[in-house]
Amino acid sequence: MGIAAAASVVVVLVMLALSRSINETKLNVACVFGIGIGLAIGNAVLALNLSWPPRNGLDRLLMIVVPAVLGVELIAGFNRVPRVAAWLLRISLSLATPRILLNGSVYLSSSGDWTAWRAGATIVVCGLGLALVWSLLSWLSRRSGGLSISFALCLAIQCSGVAVMLAGYIKGGAAAIPFVATLLAVSLSLRMVTKHAASRVEIDKPNGFVAAGIVGVGVVSLFSLLFIGRFFGDISTGPALTILLAPLLCWTTELPPLRNRKPLFVASCRLALVAIPLLVVVIAAMREFDREMSPLLGKMSKNDGTTQQTSHRSS
Amino acid sequence: MIRILSASTQMLVCGAILCVYTTPTFAADEYDYDLVHSSVSFKARHLDIGWIHGRFNDVAGKFSIDREDPSKSTFSLTIKTDSVDTANEARDKHLRQPDYFDTKQYPTIEFKSTSTKAIDGGYEVTGDFTMHGTTNKITIVLMGGKEHSFKNVKRVAFSTELALKRSDYGFDKKAIGAIGDKALIMIDCEGVRK
Repeated sequence: MGIAAAASVVVVLVMLALSRSINETKLNVACVFGIGIGLAIGNAVLALNLSWPPRNGLDRLLMIVVPAVLGVELIAGFNRVPRVAAWLLRISLSLATPRILLNGSVYLSSSGDWTAWRAGATIVVCGLGLALVWSLLSWLSRRSGGLSISFALCLAIQCSGVAVMLAGYIKGGAAAIPFVATLLAVSLSLRMVTKHAASRVEIDKPNGFVAAGIVGVGVVSLFSLLFIGRFFGDISTGPALTILLAPLLCWTTELPPLRNRKPLFVASCRLALVAIPLLVVVIAAMREFDREMSPLLGKMSKNDGTTQQTSHRSS
Repeated sequence: MIRILSASTQMLVCGAILCVYTTPTFAADEYDYDLVHSSVSFKARHLDIGWIHGRFNDVAGKFSIDREDPSKSTFSLTIKTDSVDTANEARDKHLRQPDYFDTKQYPTIEFKSTSTKAIDGGYEVTGDFTMHGTTNKITIVLMGGKEHSFKNVKRVAFSTELALKRSDYGFDKKAIGAIGDKALIMIDCEGVRK
């Protein structure tokens, strides 16, 4: 995924190098294009067998939801767009995302698993959950900022990929990798620009700046990967919710004893707090994987008088 | 006398008309798929050295067999992908996921005949086979079709084998590694006359 990350860095640096003065809008536009191009390259490298019209939830995430969130963040990033309008777009997308991901599945068919009422309620609750996480992280990024918010999101996305993969949906888990690579690359390149080209940067808190696009793409991709893993794969609701809500633990550093500490301490606290539940979920997923999937990996029990051996994953 | 003749003529005409309309015409026989005495099983290569066997436990179907005009016979089969059973629960769970059957997106595998031809010992049936959201036209040879009556229930049985390439049905080619691309499907089914 180095190539996806490198492409994102190049796009961000080139776009910002061409600007005399760098304001929040320009940073956000560069971020959106950096993520978009990085993801396109990353997914092409992964060869996820995408098709149009989309055939499954992952296709719909990568070909409808991600372009939509990039579009929303591109529009919302302009100063002229009122904040209310930007949030209306984000909330609309949040409510539409679960419906888009479930399209054509047994959950929405008349002869399927769910009643219309249950399907509607699930879509609304999940959509509101996504909007809540998105708004709380956006608020935190504007309030105190910090690269640690992006890192926490990337950590959660990577863990969601691992959890989905360990639950048996390999391609769904692998799809997390380009997201992590591009979001990290864009976050670091924006940080590099705000640090090394400080004279050209015209924003309030250049050190703690987190582009809205990073939070938007990060939260929506995290939610969608978990949603697909839950409804099309075999990940349980508990672990999925834990991973989705883990980045909100960054808010803990807004408590009075931690609020005015040094940025490095605050960032370390945030990452440690976010990492703890994620680690618990991943360890539990690994144990379950070892218990359930070991026969498929060709692991023989020692009780059989044979030595442990591992062959190719076979399914 | 004339009146009597006229009355008997009328009766004859009415009788003839009744005969024409009540004599059973040779309609197609309709059968329901008998889940108890049927099976849809498959096998696929593992690591190109062995075979993995499995079956689908939830299948439904209908046959309509016209003995006089076999081209009017129809066959349809619906397999619930969720019912995949390879005698290993973990593998079955994995097969239900989007890397393989994607049962929440594609809950059924379906076959619907479009044309039927009688051949020696059975029927050659062409139809639409839909799996994993992709429909392809295939031709299968159904051997059998002899009717048997047991405890006043008429039954008919068919069997067929077909070979499919998973890559022709939208399965991810990258996932075609340890499990081979080609899958053999064996269908042995009995139909119970309605």
